[in-house]
Parts: sequence; C-alpha cells; structure tokens
Amino acid sequence: MSFPDDLIYSSEHTWARIDGDVATVGITDYAQDKLDEILSVELFPVDSSVEQGEPFGVIESVKVTTELISPVSGEIISVNDDLADDVGILNSDAYDTGWMVAVELRDLGELDSLMDAEAYADYIEANEEAD
Amino acid sequence: MIPFKRYGSFENMAIDEALFRSHQQGGKFPVLRLYGWKRPAVSLGYFQDVEEEIDCAYCRGRGIDVVRRPTGGKAVLHGDDLTYSLVARENTPPFSSDVVETYRIISGCIIRGLAKSGIEVQMVEEGRGTTGSAGSFCFATSYKNELLAGGRKICGSAQVRARGVFLQHGSVLIDLDPLAVCAAIGKTDNGGKTQEIEAAVTSVREVIGGDIGIDDLCRGIAAGFEEVLHIRLVDEGLSPEEEALKGRLLEEKYVRDEWNRKGRGSGRGY
Repeated sequence: MSFPDDLIYSSEHTWARIDGDVATVGITDYAQDKLDEILSVELFPVDSSVEQGEPFGVIESVKVTTELISPVSGEIISVNDDLADDVGILNSDAYDTGWMVAVELRDLGELDSLMDAEAYADYIEANEEAD
Repeated sequence: MIPFKRYGSFENMAIDEALFRSHQQGGKFPVLRLYGWKRPAVSLGYFQDVEEEIDCAYCRGRGIDVVRRPTGGKAVLHGDDLTYSLVARENTPPFSSDVVETYRIISGCIIRGLAKSGIEVQMVEEGRGTTGSAGSFCFATSYKNELLAGGRKICGSAQVRARGVFLQHGSVLIDLDPLAVCAAIGKTDNGGKTQEIEAAVTSVREVIGGDIGIDDLCRGIAAGFEEVLHIRLVDEGLSPEEEALKGRLLEEKYVRDEWNRKGRGSGRGY
C-alpha cells in the first residue's frame, strides 16, 4: 500500500495535492483497498461549495455505500469526468488518473490539520490494531 | 428495537433514513427494526438507474411502488419478505469500522434467528456469484457473508455509512415468485430468466415446506440478535424528533420522483 510523500491526508481517507491555492482531491490507496471493487461514484458538481470534514460525494463498492469526506474547504472548479466512463481507475490508480475533484481553497490554514504520508501510515496502523 | 409493522414503501425508507440521521446526531444504542410492506414494492439501490433496472409500466400496472433506498446494492421486490434495518455506530462494539466484519456479525445473528424457525442457512464464504442477466435483482447475486440455504440465496443485504454510523438493510425472502421478479426488473422470460432466479434463490416457504407466522419469524430473529450479541432488545418507537424528521424526509424526498426515479438527485450526498 502506498502513500506518496507529495500528498497530504485526512482521517477520512482522502488525499489532497496542493498546487498554489488549488487542491486536487481523491481517495487513498487504503480507502480503495477497504472498499474493494468500486462500482459507482457521485461527485458534487462544479461550482459547489465544500467544507473540510463534510461530504463532497458518495461512492458505492461491492461492500458498502459511503460518503466521500472533503479534506479541504472551497469551491469545486473541476470534476474528473473520466470516472463516469471507467470508475475502475479508482481501484487501479487512486492517486493519479483516479483524482476526483479540484477545489479552489478558501482557507490555506486548515491544511495544517491534515497528515503527511508518515503520519497517515501511522494512523492507518493504529486503526487496524484497534479493529 | 422497533417491532414488526407493515408500512407503505415510502414511509419505510423515510423511517430508516430518519433513524440513520438521528443516530449521526449522537444515538447511543443500536436500533434494530423489523418491518413489512403494506403493498408490493421494488426498492432500488442508491445508484441504480430506474429506466435500466425496472419495468416501470409493469410496476405501475400492478400497483407496485418503486422506491429508492438510501443504501446501495441491487433491486429487491418486497411484499413476501421480512425486511430489517439496523442502525449503529460503526466503531462501537460489537461492530467495527471493518465493513465485512460488520456484515459477518449481523449475518451470524440472522443465522441464529432463522435456525429457531427451522431454517438452516450458511454464510457465503468467498467472492460472489451472479446469475447472468438477472443480475440487477439483488437475490441473483451473492456476496461474501450473505446468506444461503441449500446453496441458494435467502437473505440479501446492503449497507451505507456516513459520519461514523451505518445503516444496514436486509431482506429475508419468505416466498418467491420468479415471474413477478422477472417482470418487475424488466426481464421477460424469453431467455430462461425465471430458471436462473429459481436456481439462485430460495425462500423460507420452500426451505421449511410450508408457512410460518411473521410473528414467529420476528421473534426468532430478535432472539438471534440477543443471543449472539449478548444483549437485551427493548421495544421502542421513534422519538418525537425522529417522527418529525421522518415526516420531512417522506414529504421532501421519498414520495418524490426526483429521488425515486432520478436518484442521485440531490447531488449532495445524505
């Protein structure tokens, strides 16, 4: 399971890649692995406002339907339309072609509450032990 | 526990979502609800496309409601089934954040409960099997930890999670009408679809070779939960807040075509 160093991570198993005041957002390798085969995804449309810790979509796998929780606050400026054609890329390439939305950030300060790759790996390990 | 009662299809889903949302605001104890349907209904999974999955004209002509569930999964024809919903915090024992483990625990309770009515069922151990073009029908597909009797599915389930709480829906099939299933899911029987369904699905009536009272079935399942989880179920109804929320959900969501036909309509999650 990989957690790239250039991303920051939320406790809700979403990642953000920061480029200036825009964050590209997706789900982590851990999330896609836990979900198992992903069947469908519904993302908030462009121009929607999202809040850190609040939903930005819904995802369904063979196991469960669950909310996608945004790691950042701001306005969605782009949605990955390729997911409509092949949602399987969320399983095969969660950090690159499987990105979900791009968000124009409202509060760069809130990024401090997210985890780097090492902290997220520790968080996953602690969660697994608790289960 | 909310004891067995039959409601209309829209109200059933509004009640379950009210319990789900209410629990997200700080519900303490898990809630098990057993219920039936006042008249036949097809429930669709959250993401299913009504035009692709359902023969709406057939359903309309037969007085079969079409309602979309907050949970995912595939279509279920209700009427001759016992439906349950279970709402609980996902990381509070006996449940956990592990979805499969939660299914396993709940399946264990249902197995124990059905055994009390003389119905021996087993969990699906691995993977899933689908019966060809009848695959849009929930019972035609068996996932790990779902329940089979004699190798054929008897109980299907689906789960949604949000804000640390899960809602699991499940349906124990009491009687099976393969022709009605085929018609409702828009698969006319010109390709052996009813045989596919009969080969993959069974029912309580078929397993025990006769009828069983719904009260006996409910008592058994409730006892299954109590014994497996070492708990005592207490009968309760909705709180006044949950009743009010149910009313709003019914009026603003579940009676509306925007939700039931188009689904994903809010575009804003739960």
